[in-house]
Formats: sequence, structure tokens, C-alpha cells
Amino acid sequence: MLNPMDMTGKLIIVTGASDGIGRAAALHLAMLGAKTVLISRDVNKLKLISEALGKNPHKIYPYDLTDLEGIEDLIRTISEENGKIDGMVHCAGVSPMMPLKSTKYDLFHNTMLINFYAFAELVRCAGKAANCNDGASFLAVSSVSSVKGNKAQSAYAASKAAVSGVIKPMAKELSSRGIRVNSVLFGIIKTGMYEKFLEQGGDMSLWNGQYLGLGSPEDAANVISFLLSDASKLITGTDLIADGGYLS
Amino acid sequence: METSDKIRLLEEMLELKNGTLNESTALKSIPGWDSMAALSLIALCDEKFHKKLSGDKILSFITVKDITDFMG
Repeated sequence: MLNPMDMTGKLIIVTGASDGIGRAAALHLAMLGAKTVLISRDVNKLKLISEALGKNPHKIYPYDLTDLEGIEDLIRTISEENGKIDGMVHCAGVSPMMPLKSTKYDLFHNTMLINFYAFAELVRCAGKAANCNDGASFLAVSSVSSVKGNKAQSAYAASKAAVSGVIKPMAKELSSRGIRVNSVLFGIIKTGMYEKFLEQGGDMSLWNGQYLGLGSPEDAANVISFLLSDASKLITGTDLIADGGYLS
Repeated sequence: METSDKIRLLEEMLELKNGTLNESTALKSIPGWDSMAALSLIALCDEKFHKKLSGDKILSFITVKDITDFMG
């Protein structure tokens, strides 16, 4: 049977792999045959997902991606120890809720560190010929907030909009080797971040426009797998919208 | 920190004139006491008092005194 999303033998890096969308993506990619490389700063949670993956080929690399200076060595180590990279999805991120009058520059900076700078540095390093195969696919988990931010999301929305900006030149620069760079704009996905949003008094009425309902981490993992697989090999430099209708 | 200083912080957060609030002021009576103010309060308690404040806890607050007591 034809499976256009078959990932057999492909080496895929998943950042933020210990929770939510990242965890679901890691499990889904493994089921599609990928060799997964899981990155998170939480070594204990990585061990738990390692147990969940069982015999599926995978490696864990505990790392705090806000340490931007070390990302080059991290990527080099991963490719030396596991072979060249075929794809990467950046799921690690933060989604602070803060009214504008309390959003100081340091909140912007801290949000950009993991949501944007880390992604840009990962692609810069992983995109080198020594580290990745031609035809690799790099992907950032982004948000509809990048184009339609809600109250208290200034830092978050800005960081995701920055991702949308950077993928286009990246895609063009790397296209000569068939490497693709995309982002996916999710609406509300029921993860730990969603629970935190509610805990902080998040206003769900703002999301009534997501008329297909809230997404599950598994729904998100399906979209991620599609964009990392050869089934999407004509898609690059694009923000793919997967928002249950929110932006329509 | 004295209670009066905590109240002054709340007044600054809510952009109210000095002396607008006292311990018995009902939160519902304060202009601008809304979900954005609640998020600002979470940030204030974290930054100034190193205390984590949840949405549920905020919902249990009735008066300014409930907040200043939480601040410790």
C-alpha cells in the first residue's frame, strides 16, 4: 500500500519533544518509520517519552535551546553520531500572556529567544551540507497569533510573526539543495500551554471562530508529519494554516 | 512591605490616582478590574513578591485586602 507520508529511515529532530505537540509529533513520526532525535531541557520527561517510544529508533539530547551559542555543537554532534539530518520540527516555545503595559523588552527578548532565535539558529546549523541531506524539511510550529494576535499576546505574536518572516528567505537560500523551510499556523491545540492559558484567565470566547473545534496534539502531529514528509515536497516558504477555520 | 505600599503598587498597576483604593475596596467596584488587570496582577505578584498567582485564586479575591494578604 502506498504511504506518501512514509518516513522510513529518515532522521528527524524534534525540539520541545517532552510535552504537547512535540511529544505527539515524536510518537507519530516514529510510527511512520522515522529515526527521531528528541531535544528538550527536561531530561526526566525525555526519559518518559523514550520509554513510550520503546523499540522505535530514537535518541535523546537534553539541551536548553535558549543557550544559542551551543546549538552549532549540538547539531554537529547529532549528525556525527546519527548520520545526516532529513528534517527538523521546532516545537519548543513559550506563550506568555501579558498585558501591553506590563510587557517590557525583557519579555519580548525571552520569548524571541526560544520561539525565534533558537529556530533560526537550528536551521542555520542544520542546513549546512555537512549536517543534512539534500531534500531535508525544516519546520517551525507557529500560531494564528502571528497574523491575528489577541490581547496580552504582544511578545508571543511578534515572535511567531518573526518566524513567518524568516522562513521565506531561508527557503530560497536552501532551495538549490531541495531543502524546504515552512511553518504551520495552529489555532488552539489542547496541550499544557492551553491549560496554562486557561489557568491565567485566558478568554476562550476569542477563539469561537475555531468552528471545527479545538485540535488535539495528534491532529497537530499529522500536519507536522505531512510537512516533514516527501508528500509535501512542493511546499516551501509557506505558513500552512491548520486552525480549525479560525482565520477563514 | 507596608500595606500602604502594596496598595500604591496596585494603584499604579491599574493607573489609578494615589488614595483611590483602600483595603475594604471591593474589586468589582474598581474601574478597569478585568481579565487584563488579572494578568497584570499575576505579573506584579511574580515580579515584586515572587509569588505565583493562579486565575482560580484571583477569582476568590473579593476586596483589595485579599490581594494585599496574598502578597504577604
